[in-house]
Amino acid sequence: MSTASFQEDIARPKQPPQPVAPLPEQLGAARRFFAGLWKRVRDLIEIITASPTAVVGLIMVLFWVFVAVFAPLITTYSPLEQDYKAINQPPSAAHILGTDQLGRDVWSRLAYGARTILTLGPASVLVAFLLGIALGLPSGYYGGAIDETVMRILDALMAFPTILLYMIIISAVGPSHFNVVIAIAIGGAPGIARLVRALTMDIRTREYVAAAKLRGDSDFTIMVREILPNCRGPLIVDFLMRIGYAAFYIGTLGFLGLGLPPPTPDWGGMVQQGHNHMMANVWPVLSATLAIITLVIGLNMFADGVREESMRYQ
Amino acid sequence: MARFIVRRLFTMFLTMFIVSMLVFAIVEIAPGNVARNILGAYATPEQEKSMENQLGLDRPIIIRYISWLLGSDWQVSRRLGMPVKEIVISQGVVERYHQWWAVDENGDLVQWDVEGGKLIKLVRQPDGSVVQVLDDQSWKFDEDGNAYFWGLDTANRAALWMPGQEGTEYRLEYSGWIEAADSPVDYIPMSKGLLRGDAGISLRYKRPVSEVIGRRISNSLILAALAFSVSIPIAIVLGLIAGLNEGKPVDRLISLGGLITAASPDFATGILLIMIFGMWLKILPGATVFLSETAIFKDPRMLILPVLTASLVEIGYVLRITRSSVVEVMNSAYVRTAVLKGLSQRQVVLRHVLRNALMAPITVIMLHVNWFIGGLVVVESVFGFPGLGNFILNAALYKDVYAIEAGAMVLIALAVGTQLIADIIYSLINPRIRYA
Repeated sequence: MSTASFQEDIARPKQPPQPVAPLPEQLGAARRFFAGLWKRVRDLIEIITASPTAVVGLIMVLFWVFVAVFAPLITTYSPLEQDYKAINQPPSAAHILGTDQLGRDVWSRLAYGARTILTLGPASVLVAFLLGIALGLPSGYYGGAIDETVMRILDALMAFPTILLYMIIISAVGPSHFNVVIAIAIGGAPGIARLVRALTMDIRTREYVAAAKLRGDSDFTIMVREILPNCRGPLIVDFLMRIGYAAFYIGTLGFLGLGLPPPTPDWGGMVQQGHNHMMANVWPVLSATLAIITLVIGLNMFADGVREESMRYQ
Repeated sequence: MARFIVRRLFTMFLTMFIVSMLVFAIVEIAPGNVARNILGAYATPEQEKSMENQLGLDRPIIIRYISWLLGSDWQVSRRLGMPVKEIVISQGVVERYHQWWAVDENGDLVQWDVEGGKLIKLVRQPDGSVVQVLDDQSWKFDEDGNAYFWGLDTANRAALWMPGQEGTEYRLEYSGWIEAADSPVDYIPMSKGLLRGDAGISLRYKRPVSEVIGRRISNSLILAALAFSVSIPIAIVLGLIAGLNEGKPVDRLISLGGLITAASPDFATGILLIMIFGMWLKILPGATVFLSETAIFKDPRMLILPVLTASLVEIGYVLRITRSSVVEVMNSAYVRTAVLKGLSQRQVVLRHVLRNALMAPITVIMLHVNWFIGGLVVVESVFGFPGLGNFILNAALYKDVYAIEAGAMVLIALAVGTQLIADIIYSLINPRIRYA
């Protein structure tokens, strides 16, 4: 995808022909923006539908997105409500997936747990990208001592097995929504920074960057307006991959007891607690395990399909 | 080649140095201080302050970092003006006590105590007993004429006594809080430092971390070696089969299986395997209970599920890389030439495809070490396997700071070391990257 779209960008005139009726400057910019956005969305749809893997993955992900969005409508119980008269129930008409060791409805916890993982996952990847771009862009653009320093620190961070890094961060700052997002962002940022750095080192030699320098743009403007937009192809693919990893790690942290604090419906935590009560009732652990597997596999298949299809563009 | 290795060794040490700073910073500077983690939420501020003092946590962060890495015995030895020595006393098979003593001018091992304002020297006799000697002439005086004395106390700490301004020491014993009078005002805990093999005392086991951790490391290495030697051959064979039959049903099946096993979180795979083999089929132990740390050799059946779980993820991953690499090589010009000049399928595969197609998986396995180790940590916690990963996890849950630090450093050193070895092997196979 990268080279093709870069060349396309070079070929495409920066200023589209002015419309006949003079529009206010702002409106023109907005229209251009939406036209560009629409083209991108269309490209993406084209890429996705070209790959059966991506379509299957997307369906699996959309199922959980649907469950998360409409959780209050498709569940009858609160995910936190405990019923001591009905603990460890197998599936029945009242509780379609049964109840857990505290008498909570498993389906409700699953549905609200989808909300947790589907908000924390993308949120942490977003933070990771902000961090990674903030480190990688100047590093690749300036090179030299800045680059050397940043890269040594990133090397050290990447020497940590990711789970280990999360474990010591969470144990130091304590488990909470915010801290899980920060931990996962810190774990992901070095990889993103390296990718951004490599792309930047490639793009900074282009003619349009030289042109921007010539017309006196500041370094910051050049990085944000010229270089970053031209990194987007590989970055989008990386973003999709990383949402899969983030879901993977949020589940794992929950399972290890380092995820979200207890009453929060969280799939990893459900698996851990269900594992302890497996002999009494297998349904809570089975449903949470299958939920996390289907979501993570769906996200991976989607990202994989998109990546392969976009590589075919080259 | 030698230059390449030297350069890689240098970057490895640099990386480990930065890693040590990061580990120390994350674990010890982070909010939520160590003393409160030990004491619990109901400690008074005075108790907390006393505990921080006793653990040396009130010292400057740089000094603490240096002491953690290189030890505090040489610092103490300078303050005391005499050498200090660590002795190990064995009682029975597993009970071992570490004691720090100063060596005085007669060559005797000595510690000190203060009782009722009097300085008492405890002299260790060759048979292990201790003789108390009044040592009031050893008090030193500062400019204002106040007496002070730096010595070693009986709990492996260097202590500063200042008569007239005794601190109050709070100690948490089994019976509850003990308030000790005549206590020192400042402490430096004795240690030899991580680099000299002493990682401090585990707050949870009350024993040196380095003694607790050894067995765990070897258990983990066994698990890793088993999982690795099971997964890599299977993955490469499956990847070859899939790649040579590109597009056929067998390829579809293997590829889909690879995708599923590679993407599934390790803990989920482990739990599913426990359900299938332990609960429903009842052919393997479902809950792997290790009563002692050496039990993994007593019942090999217990090892099957952990090894299988750790292998599955790796199999999926390596299989997919091998497959795409084989597909690429099969479509190359030299393989077409080989086929066209009349070589049999067998010869083409063995002589042209294999060697070239295996380059990519080797690279990937090498870059994948950290992921593999992370997976092992999770697998160990699923099965309660007495390995290093489980050790670190429990330390993290109990906030056993010295154990977390030591465990993390060992795990990262293993990861970085493995990567270095893989790098060297790889540069032997593929000379091109040596000069990159």
